[in-house]
Amino acid sequence: MADLLPWLFVIVATVAIIAGLVSLWLSLSLALSDEALGGVRAQLTTDARRALLTQKEALLQEIRDVAFEHDADKLSDRDFQELNEKLRAEARQVLHALDAGAESFRDEAEALIAERLAAKS
Amino acid sequence: MPALDIPFFGTLVLCLILISASYTMAVAVGAGQGRPHLLPSARWGTYATCALVLVAVCVLAYAFQTHDFRIRYVARYSDRSMPWWYLIASLWGGQDGSLLWWAFLLSGYTFFVTRWLRGRYTELQPWIIATLMSILIFFAVLMLFAANPFATYIRTTPGDGEGLNPLLQNYWMAIHPPTLYLGFVGWSVPFAILIAALVTGRLGTEWVRAARLWSMIAWSFLSLGLLLGLLWSYEELGWGGYWAWDPVENASFLPWLVGTAYLHSVLIQERRHMMKVWNVFLLALTFFLTIFGTFLTRSGLIASVHSFARSDIGQYFVWYMGFLLIGIAALIIWRLPKLKADNQIESLISREFAFLLNNWVLLGMMVFVLIATTFPLLSQWLRGEEVTVGPGFYNKWMVPLGILLLFLAGLGPLVAWRKATGSKLLRAMVFPVGVGVSVAVLQVLFGARVGYPPIVEPTEIYDTTTGTVLAWMSAVAPAVSFSTCAFVLASVGQEFWRGVRVRMRKGEGVATALVRLTSKGRRRYGGYIVHVGIVFMFIGFTGAAYDVEKESALRPGETMSVGKHTLRYDQPRMEADPNKRMIFTDMTLLDESGNEDGQVAPAKFIYRTHPQMPTTEVAIRSRPAEDIYVIMSTVDPSTRRGTFRIIIRPLVAWIWFGGLVLLLGALLGMWPTGRELLREEVARPRRFRFSPATAVVALAIVVATMMAWVGVASAQNDSSSSLHAGSVVINDPIERQLFGRLLCQCGDCARLPLDTCACGWADDKRIEIRELLAAGEEPTKIQESYRSQFGAKALAIPSDKGLDRALWAVPVGAMVLAMAFIILLGRRWQRRSAGGPTRGSATAGAAIEYDSRLDEELDHLEQS
Repeated sequence: MADLLPWLFVIVATVAIIAGLVSLWLSLSLALSDEALGGVRAQLTTDARRALLTQKEALLQEIRDVAFEHDADKLSDRDFQELNEKLRAEARQVLHALDAGAESFRDEAEALIAERLAAKS
Repeated sequence: MPALDIPFFGTLVLCLILISASYTMAVAVGAGQGRPHLLPSARWGTYATCALVLVAVCVLAYAFQTHDFRIRYVARYSDRSMPWWYLIASLWGGQDGSLLWWAFLLSGYTFFVTRWLRGRYTELQPWIIATLMSILIFFAVLMLFAANPFATYIRTTPGDGEGLNPLLQNYWMAIHPPTLYLGFVGWSVPFAILIAALVTGRLGTEWVRAARLWSMIAWSFLSLGLLLGLLWSYEELGWGGYWAWDPVENASFLPWLVGTAYLHSVLIQERRHMMKVWNVFLLALTFFLTIFGTFLTRSGLIASVHSFARSDIGQYFVWYMGFLLIGIAALIIWRLPKLKADNQIESLISREFAFLLNNWVLLGMMVFVLIATTFPLLSQWLRGEEVTVGPGFYNKWMVPLGILLLFLAGLGPLVAWRKATGSKLLRAMVFPVGVGVSVAVLQVLFGARVGYPPIVEPTEIYDTTTGTVLAWMSAVAPAVSFSTCAFVLASVGQEFWRGVRVRMRKGEGVATALVRLTSKGRRRYGGYIVHVGIVFMFIGFTGAAYDVEKESALRPGETMSVGKHTLRYDQPRMEADPNKRMIFTDMTLLDESGNEDGQVAPAKFIYRTHPQMPTTEVAIRSRPAEDIYVIMSTVDPSTRRGTFRIIIRPLVAWIWFGGLVLLLGALLGMWPTGRELLREEVARPRRFRFSPATAVVALAIVVATMMAWVGVASAQNDSSSSLHAGSVVINDPIERQLFGRLLCQCGDCARLPLDTCACGWADDKRIEIRELLAAGEEPTKIQESYRSQFGAKALAIPSDKGLDRALWAVPVGAMVLAMAFIILLGRRWQRRSAGGPTRGSATAGAAIEYDSRLDEELDHLEQS
């Protein structure tokens, strides 16, 4: 093992040098080209919707947890009703906002798809 | 490679790392500032930089394996007789190499994060890469300008190296530092995600989710590193037991405390979109403390048994820490409007408030440890007097805080999120409190008979009221600790049972319900298992209050008894390998009937390169009830007479077992859901793709391998070493108290008090002090005369007056103020929440439709 190890390090270092040079070459060539990234733009346009979806997911989780804690006898019926109603009201609002924003999002998504298809053709 | 000038090539690669990292950072910043097409370029630049760091590590490893003693670092930390595995461990055995190793681990994390980020968090990505590159740039600058691991001798090259310090030539050196570094370096990733969120202003839950897995990985590695450190220190005779509150140990404990606070507090942000500034602060502080800890270890400013030599790199760290402080503070202030909470705490009886209390204790402990660790420096700067803060101070103050934290670990799971019903909470506490009280009563009634009396002998660290209060608190601490452990175990057990019962109502059997409950709530139940691990560790820590020890001189065939154990000294035995000579003393353990019950062989090792530093190899026989810790102090080759010291250490094995449970809990908490695994499968069915799933599986493999390694290594070599050749005998409580307050001043045993230091100087001093005590001298006068002879730094604990009092008064004051603030804030939130309108009321007509959609989605969530 002691005889093999130096050569192992030589081999690993050589492979790493080649990988490093190739990566650097790719990095430089990409930096010097000005190819636009449709994917990035697409994601930038969905921020508000993504935040709402995240909020919805968190609220659903909370509604489930509150029900679980009520079943596990940590919450009285009254507290459970109060919390459950509060959370559901918030969730309804989020669903409402998601529905309201869906139209413009759809238009935007269609525009982006058209843009990508045009770029490909 | 052999034809190359290795030192020159290594330095060249370091230069290339600096250039490549700077270039990548510039490109990433460009990508973040409205040129998204630069992002792939930044990603490839990152890979190139990581590859170059790998090259640098391979070059240094090659130099070690080929004994290239032109390189100073290689000559200082290796020699020709060292086996290849220690030559690899030497990579991080000294200052310069360990900085390269740090950079290597950071580049490893950076590589995996960059792979993981592909297609994720596109807006945060450029800034994550830029931040990680900036950290790498700092380390590259450090290596190039202050601690180059490839620096050569100016004149002659030595024929052989000095060799790695004998204390570091064991299997712990191979596993403990890399694991701890993985924990330290790991916090760079969540920190980079945080900086990206601050720069882009995307401060919702997105960054929290992105940082979740990486902070858990860093925390797990840090915990594992600390655990392995405990094990190593426990086996080293001269390191003061498994935890001696050494500055270097404290340096790794500080980020753990704040990181743990963050992991709890961030749950509130995920659920309630609040505490945003606090979480940003905690995560930034955790990362800052990893750098601060490295500064403490590297600068040599504070005396420690295992810090690196004093060097110039401290000033680089000071500049970097200054830059971090200003940069982070500026970013937080800039983004304050976006860090406003969306919600408020609704009740003081809620899980959120319990987490706040948990944060209060953890941060309070952090402030205590931080002030005590840096107090010697502060004292030197403020009044020009060198002082020392020994383990006694920490033990007295940290034990009550630790027990309080333990209590909260049991209370937290019982409280519901948002608003718990008071009467239900009281009912839920009946069983755990009952179990805790029962254990306390049992210990009062029967503890003394089985060797665990409820009250232990009080020792005072101050001759003031504070000292008396602390002494009595520590005297009852074992009973309170055992009782609190029982409370937490019962509380967690009850939580599992309640969950199982809920599922059983849906028609599931006990086993199915338990499995489904745990698999559907991995984070929650993984967290509870972590709490159980902490309980087991506390059981082990509490056992230290019941240590028993004895010293005897024996001839072959003679026996000695300690507690209910008897050991027979059989014979001395000599062995040798190319690296060292080993003198073993074979001993046989005998049971109560006189039958043989195992063998131990404490030893002394004399290394070829360090003949003047013989190491004492401790032999340990470990069982769940107690460890038998055997030290051979001396052996006379002509008469074969040996001097042995035996310590019975109850419950120590529970610390290691608890650590293992803690890690398993952490793994369970991180384990990917079926949906995550499925998503990975669907997205790229044939190719490897880095994801949370692969990250956690990789972590599980690393942890399992390390634990297996520890097991195998321990089985092969159930002992460890110390440079201290002698041993300590304490005759009475007055001696214990006095010796515990005085530090050895031989010059080599930094910070070891006379009640544990086993060197010759300490032995002579103990004899001298015993004579004074026998002559009727007051212990306080002896202490004063010791102080005037050697200075304030010779006392293990600063006095309880003047500036010294600030050592405990400042953290206690800070904790009291913080508690008052938390309660006031909580009440204010509660009032606002009660008075505020219910958010999010949709139109009445749409409510029914939305409710049915919600029910559908909830069903879907339940089935997933």
